[in-house]
Amino acid sequence: MPAIVEVQNYSWEYLNTDQPALNNITMTIDEGTFVGVIGPNGSGKTTLAYSLDGLIPGQYHGIKQGSVKILGREVEEYPRGELQRQVGVVFSDPESQFTAMTVEDELVFGMENLGMSIPEIRERLDWVLDLTNLAPLLNKPPYEISGGQKQRVALAAVLAMTPKIMILDEPTSMLDPLSRRRVFDVLARLKKEQKNTIIVIEHSLENLIPLADRMILLSQGEITMDGPTTDFFQHIDLLLEKGISPPGAMRFFYELKRAGVYRGDFPLTAEEGWKHLERLFENSTTEGYPL
Amino acid sequence: MSENKAFIQVQNLSYSYLDGTQALSQINLEIVKGEFIALIGQNGSGKTTLSKCLNGLFKPTTGDVIVEGLNSKNTSIVQMVRRVGYVFQNPDHQLFNNNCWDEIAYGPRNILLPEDEVKVRVQEAADVVGLPEMYFSEHPFFLTKGLRQRVAIASILALRPQVIIVDEPTTGQDASQSYEIMGFLKNLNKEHGHTVMIITHDMPIVAQYARRVIAMGMGRVMADGSTSEVFKQADILAKTFLEPPQITQLAQLASGLGFNPGTLSVDEMVKQYQALKQA
Repeated sequence: MPAIVEVQNYSWEYLNTDQPALNNITMTIDEGTFVGVIGPNGSGKTTLAYSLDGLIPGQYHGIKQGSVKILGREVEEYPRGELQRQVGVVFSDPESQFTAMTVEDELVFGMENLGMSIPEIRERLDWVLDLTNLAPLLNKPPYEISGGQKQRVALAAVLAMTPKIMILDEPTSMLDPLSRRRVFDVLARLKKEQKNTIIVIEHSLENLIPLADRMILLSQGEITMDGPTTDFFQHIDLLLEKGISPPGAMRFFYELKRAGVYRGDFPLTAEEGWKHLERLFENSTTEGYPL
Repeated sequence: MSENKAFIQVQNLSYSYLDGTQALSQINLEIVKGEFIALIGQNGSGKTTLSKCLNGLFKPTTGDVIVEGLNSKNTSIVQMVRRVGYVFQNPDHQLFNNNCWDEIAYGPRNILLPEDEVKVRVQEAADVVGLPEMYFSEHPFFLTKGLRQRVAIASILALRPQVIIVDEPTTGQDASQSYEIMGFLKNLNKEHGHTVMIITHDMPIVAQYARRVIAMGMGRVMADGSTSEVFKQADILAKTFLEPPQITQLAQLASGLGFNPGTLSVDEMVKQYQALKQA
């Protein structure tokens, strides 16, 4: 598949700062990939999101070097509003993007703004309602619903515009576990049914890992690690060094490996860990080596 | 004085909001000095309402909250908040003074302590949270979230409450920032003898720091016990849509091999592995 995002030797420095927020980043993302971006606070994750949807350099002052291309075209070269049809962004604080008095208006607003026909708006509305389970809330004001519901409205409003690329910046950091799971359920369906390119910035690794095809670690404005999810999480040392806390099952097998009793891959989920563990106990004759 | 005597007793507590929504029903629990408790549950399960009943901001609709022998029904909020302090989820909802010193002094001044005593309290609270003097004249909004949280906690500590309730201390923080805040709360509990209760959705944090877990669902206490005991009850947790941390899930999947389904840490899991392999 062709690259939908191409970032080449890209640096961005906000005005009045002495260090670039992103420093000489190079990466490409193929269409249809689900990418997880992690890194400590202040590592440049949100700056990367802003850079891909044109908020940078459009709405911020600073110095740009290098190139950021979406669908083969430099972000500054898109006419105003055009890039936002291709790239949809959901932030951790969904209220900041609400403008309408009812959930329905909120969902329809973006599509009307793009000049879609009423039958098409209706069709897309049905589709996003099904995906996000929001039908019962259509007539409610967006400020009267719960945090998790707000986040699904924000997600649905962006989805309705069917952007080629969806960026979610810590979409669940303010949510409780149930709402968090519902947001990730929507993302799982999107990945399966729509083949969108999805970029998720998250601290909550346990939900992200099973969905991500590829992971990127940012640290102090640079890409420290970038690779397929399974390969990426074989480098636990580096993750720990960068202040990332991998999920428990992974850390358990990491400790076994350090103790010299395990040589296989680190599991991405509790279930995978359980399979590894079963094999370790079955093969007591081979000193616990599953390979 | 007996160590086991409850500092807080909650008896048949129910609370309904003015619009009739019942937020809490029939809560019974006791909290002893020196505990480190995690209050968990989905949003809307009653965690914050319960906290506000414990510090007297809300009075029970029926039932009683008794703190150090005082029934919250006929005790002023001033008397209550000197015993049970509540730190808001978002420090920015709590901080409103122009500099950190005034922020921390606000509570002591509000309970009409003489200015000499206010000074002592502010200095003491700033010391406990590790807020350097250079920040005293700073506007709280120019500090990092971690420091703002410390100022928010200091402003509550200045009232010298025995119990301190912190609502979602690690939300929005990355791993190392979370460990810093939690390390500080652990120290408040261990070194300074405060009873600490955190409200959180972060189960690995609960497993690592809390010795007791109270799980709430639909305004009721669904489970209450040692962290290990509560996380063992996967079926009850599932009813409240909560999941134990991943290492506990792994131990539960592997319980047939002899792993303890109440395992809370990677270290514990490794030790069990070694013991089981040798056996």
